[in-house]
Amino acid sequence: MRIYEDLRVVQARLAILQATAVVLVAALVVQFWNLQVVRGRHFRELAENNRSRLVTLAAPRGALLDRNGRVLVQNRPSFNVVVNSDSPESLDRLAGRLASALGVGEASIRERLARKQPYRPVVVKTDATLADVAALEARRLELPEVSVEVVPLRSYPLASAAAHALGRVGEISERQLQSPEYQALAAGSLVGQAGVEYRYNKELMGRDGFRRVIVNSRGLEMGEAERQAPEDGPSLTLSIDAKLQGAIERAFAGRAGCAVALDPATGEILGMASTPAYDPNEFTTGIDPELWASLATDPRTPLINRVIQGAYSPGSTFKVIAATAALEEGLIRPETTFYCPGYLNVYNTTFHCSAKAGHGTLDLRRAIANSCNVYFYQVGIRLEISRLAKWAKRMGLGAPTGVDLPHEIGGLMPSAEWKLRLFKTPWYGGETVSVAIGQGQVSATPLQMARVAAVIANGGLLVRPHLVRSAAGMEPVNLGIQPSTIEAVKAGMRAVVAEGTGWRARFQTIEVAGKTGSAQVVAKARLEKSPNAPEIQPHGWFLCFAPADRPTIAMAVLVEHGRSGGESAAPVAHEILAEWFGLAKPPPGAPGLPDLEAED
Amino acid sequence: MAIDRRLVYNVDWVLVGSSLALALTGVAMIYSATHGGRTPNLYLKQLALVGAGSLALVATAAIDYRRLADRAMLLYGASVVALLYVLRFAPVIAGTRRWILLGGFQLQPSELVKLATAVFVAKVFSDSRQEVLGLRDLIVPGAAVGLLALLIAREPDLGTAVCLMPILLAVAFLAGLRMRAVAAVGTALVLVAALAWPLLKDYQKTRIYTFLDPSLDPRGAGYQKIQSQIAVGSGGLVGRGFAEGSQAQLGYLPARHTDFVFSVLAEEKGFLGVVVALGLYLLVLWRMLETARLARDRLGAFIVAGHAAGVGFQVVYNVAMVAGLVPVKGLPLPLMSYGGSSVLSSLMGIGLVLSVRMRRFAN
Repeated sequence: MRIYEDLRVVQARLAILQATAVVLVAALVVQFWNLQVVRGRHFRELAENNRSRLVTLAAPRGALLDRNGRVLVQNRPSFNVVVNSDSPESLDRLAGRLASALGVGEASIRERLARKQPYRPVVVKTDATLADVAALEARRLELPEVSVEVVPLRSYPLASAAAHALGRVGEISERQLQSPEYQALAAGSLVGQAGVEYRYNKELMGRDGFRRVIVNSRGLEMGEAERQAPEDGPSLTLSIDAKLQGAIERAFAGRAGCAVALDPATGEILGMASTPAYDPNEFTTGIDPELWASLATDPRTPLINRVIQGAYSPGSTFKVIAATAALEEGLIRPETTFYCPGYLNVYNTTFHCSAKAGHGTLDLRRAIANSCNVYFYQVGIRLEISRLAKWAKRMGLGAPTGVDLPHEIGGLMPSAEWKLRLFKTPWYGGETVSVAIGQGQVSATPLQMARVAAVIANGGLLVRPHLVRSAAGMEPVNLGIQPSTIEAVKAGMRAVVAEGTGWRARFQTIEVAGKTGSAQVVAKARLEKSPNAPEIQPHGWFLCFAPADRPTIAMAVLVEHGRSGGESAAPVAHEILAEWFGLAKPPPGAPGLPDLEAED
Repeated sequence: MAIDRRLVYNVDWVLVGSSLALALTGVAMIYSATHGGRTPNLYLKQLALVGAGSLALVATAAIDYRRLADRAMLLYGASVVALLYVLRFAPVIAGTRRWILLGGFQLQPSELVKLATAVFVAKVFSDSRQEVLGLRDLIVPGAAVGLLALLIAREPDLGTAVCLMPILLAVAFLAGLRMRAVAAVGTALVLVAALAWPLLKDYQKTRIYTFLDPSLDPRGAGYQKIQSQIAVGSGGLVGRGFAEGSQAQLGYLPARHTDFVFSVLAEEKGFLGVVVALGLYLLVLWRMLETARLARDRLGAFIVAGHAAGVGFQVVYNVAMVAGLVPVKGLPLPLMSYGGSSVLSSLMGIGLVLSVRMRRFAN
């Protein structure tokens, strides 16, 4: 039998251990209270962030329609390969695997992955092929961070036709990402980058929807928590007439130049082409850098919209402005005659006329019809630069027209103040003589000149050209020109086509009013030295409107290096007008209407 | 070794009941954590292990703890041999040598070494007839336990190695260690921690740095702590619902059926579930220490208290780790975590306690 041990110390100290256990457990309870009840909401949010990923559902951009509802630009479904993970190791691992699965260079994938923003997916390949999608689907388990999204892609069925007016879309640029106008857009979003696509980007984009999906810790999608359907961008009806546009494109096939046709009453742009052009379809998925470089450095400047970005000497088309100014200022009357011996000696200079032998004595109508320079030298001398500049500016030169397209230039209408400010030299009278026939410093865009034609066509309204029919703030401005002035200038322009330099634009059934012009691109002396070098030939201009009495169309046509407007631009205008008035020759072999066109 | 009626009469049914309740809660949480994964039947395995553990519990309770203590040196020697064997021959699994393969089962000797240590230390101190112990009296048992801890730490399994220390300290404390010595030991532990710092491996240091500031490396070493806190915190008052916790179900929570099983409970059962589970653990510890108080001799009291200290340390550390209070260490939660050796040793430990309690009036 053992002696019972004295356990008092043991028992006392056991009590201490028990108390310790109680205190520790109580401390843990306090911590859990703090985490779960006090800060529970915070951790709940973190858990939500953990498990959900936002997947953007791209809203299809609004279609662009012509004035008759024909589709100019639409969307087609395409596949985007996107990466969701944020972990650097997994991105590193992905680059190589994606490169082999998609047949893309690893460097380009790395470059795209480097642009990833946290918690936002990044697109590594746009417009992936079905083969790409199949290759990824087969590797689904080893590449859980990669997914394929179906996104609407911009499609331009007309290819390069009206490319400059319609514009193009492309990935949002770094600079755009920073700007408030594009806020809430992620890297890789497609936005308008030129033309109507750029100018009306906000309206066309619609509102992207999203899917909030539940992903597991490896990034694999486990389900969907929330979905907001995308709101399609509304379609936009343009004033362009697809058939007329087609005629403009055909007329310019193989030529450099541009044409723009307006509704003279409203300023709606019926057609607009600038050649050479480019195919906007090439841009929608990120343009190939080589192609971009060749477009950007091409000396024929296919990326430039000549209609609003080309500043050309207006040449003799400027005589429409000079005539209007002189009539309005009361310096001449329609009956006023001048004698043209083929040249004019003034300000110690000899200024030549287009006709070496001279036009003899002619009035305003015949001066316009035959494009007599001497007559307009006289007009210019009487107007002086101040009044000439005043009227030119009134009729829209020297400032952008305000067309609803980006990057329009204003051209230049020189004046004495302008010269003094810029060159610190006074204006010389001889300069006015040159400007009066559209040479010298003056320059204008084809759109500005089409508008000048419209002013005469509509009886003195300065229209605001626009492409979107519903565009606001596009009401014409009444210039307050006397009807007699309009009639006199119009009579001259009718004579241009009926009996003058623009005869190649003549129809039997429709009366066309027009004005030819040629814009020198080099000094006369150089042209005389090598008269046949194509690249130094003057540009050919033709302004016109028709029918002359109740015009439905006003147009400016410019054929680069086309020698004279009558030779090169008037036939192009003729072809376009034929389509507008339904007088076009039917395609060979097709049964059609009898040929109403008369050429002489 | 027949169990007489008096022994059965003295079984602590509260202890047994709360232990089994925790073990079964663990099975449920393991189900929740793994049912959607690659090993959906793990909970059945754990259930079978709880069953086997219960048998082991009964078997252990049936052994007279004094007979066991008589063989303390044998247990100690067997522990050293087993640990040496593990270090020398065990396969490398996840970078460590911890397990012996025994006919399809993986046995982790270090789990059973904890029980052996409790018996061994209790035996050493109960044999000592001194009323008051000084630091010097700690040297021999300290060295013996230190050797075991060292072997386990070499596996490497620092967590389990550290678990041996509370056993030694608790028994020494009960055996009459001077309060001055208690203070000295406390100071020494702090010093050791400071001196051990240069010896830690880089990943261990990183763990401690990121414990202090998890945002240093949210995808790396800080990940486990952050994800566990998110799981716990998002559980709120009543929890996300059984098998409904997104952190556990979607795999954000690491080691969710083993070391972090308590996070699953906290996420899915909320603060109320946590309070119940912690209450059960406190009840288990309390009843163990009660058993120690009621023990008829110092040996029994020491065995039970030593074991309770080891279990208590492990529970508190694991739960504090889940709550983000202490650095992440690979340390299972007794009774609840998945793992055969852990369940087995947890339930055998309960059996050991019962063995003492049942014999409180026996000779």
